[in-house]
Amino acid sequence: MDKFALLQFYALAKREVLEHRNLFVGAPAMVALLILVASIWVALQLEQAELAAALEYLAILFDGLSPFDMAPFFMLLAIPFFATLYVCSVIYLINTLYQDRKEMSVLFWQSMPVSNLQTVLSKVFTIVVVAPIFYVLIIFALYLIAMIWLTLLGISNDINLVGIGWMFLAALTSLLFIYISAFVTSLWLLPSMGWLLLFSAFAKKTPLLWAAGVFILVGFLEDFVFGTQYLANWVESRAANPNQYFIFDFQSVFEKLFNYDMLFGLLVGSILLAGAVYMRRFID
Amino acid sequence: MKNIILRNRYTLLLTTLTAYMAVLVAEGAITGREARIVDFENPFFDLSVNNFEQFRESRNDAGDDRRAERQGDRRIDEDDDG
Repeated sequence: MDKFALLQFYALAKREVLEHRNLFVGAPAMVALLILVASIWVALQLEQAELAAALEYLAILFDGLSPFDMAPFFMLLAIPFFATLYVCSVIYLINTLYQDRKEMSVLFWQSMPVSNLQTVLSKVFTIVVVAPIFYVLIIFALYLIAMIWLTLLGISNDINLVGIGWMFLAALTSLLFIYISAFVTSLWLLPSMGWLLLFSAFAKKTPLLWAAGVFILVGFLEDFVFGTQYLANWVESRAANPNQYFIFDFQSVFEKLFNYDMLFGLLVGSILLAGAVYMRRFID
Repeated sequence: MKNIILRNRYTLLLTTLTAYMAVLVAEGAITGREARIVDFENPFFDLSVNNFEQFRESRNDAGDDRRAERQGDRRIDEDDDG
């Protein structure tokens, strides 16, 4: 890839972030703020001695343990951020190409030296690579505030701070796992992303209703025409188990990225993304 | 062929969805993909969504038993009144 193409792609990704900063920065910042306020409220309900005892327990629990072993504990705390990321991703994907046509900015972008393929890929890139970075940075800020607060609390109550240091290391390690989990899950759900983008490029009105309605219709048609339920089975196999969305160790990254189901999902997702790219030709 | 597919948005959507379904059905048929249906385990009844017919039959049988029991109770009440 030459330098100009990289610059084009960088500009497209930057545009996505600037146009949707509420989804990528505002939403996780709001979740972090809510968690912080809830934590402070809980802390205010407790006696100082109880708080100090809880902190001492945590310091002893984490002291000397490998951050990689304790990181999953912090990944559970990140579940509200994962949920927010997926909800925001659905909102973004279903609206992004539709909005371009609605406000006619598609004409401007098509007059620029960027292809429809680059535009659609930049949207996939934004969800798979860029959005998780903002979420991880905001979780990092939350952990940093929490650690400063716990450290001050530890100093004021004469608690051994080495355990708090180990806890902070585990929290930092969890950020890596959170990013990898979001990245791998986005690739795992590429067919869903392709489906949403296809209907975002297709629908003249209410793209979400089109996407949901046609999905149900296609499922029924498959049952009527072929007498099979492979679509429902396939979707069920991708969505039913929440464990497939989390990565707790580095060994499982390779397994999750390079297996038959993942590669087949990428193939199916590519068909739908190709449809979305060609659909960009039709402007109302 | 390309002109037909790219004639309008509807033909393109139909083609994309047909390709999507064809790949899914073909892969499902070749690999024999089966749903990993969740068995809804609980102490009151057995439900496997994969075998809904059997569940309905078992529910009907249970309903018949309950009705028979209720009729038996009613007869006993009537005998007591009589």
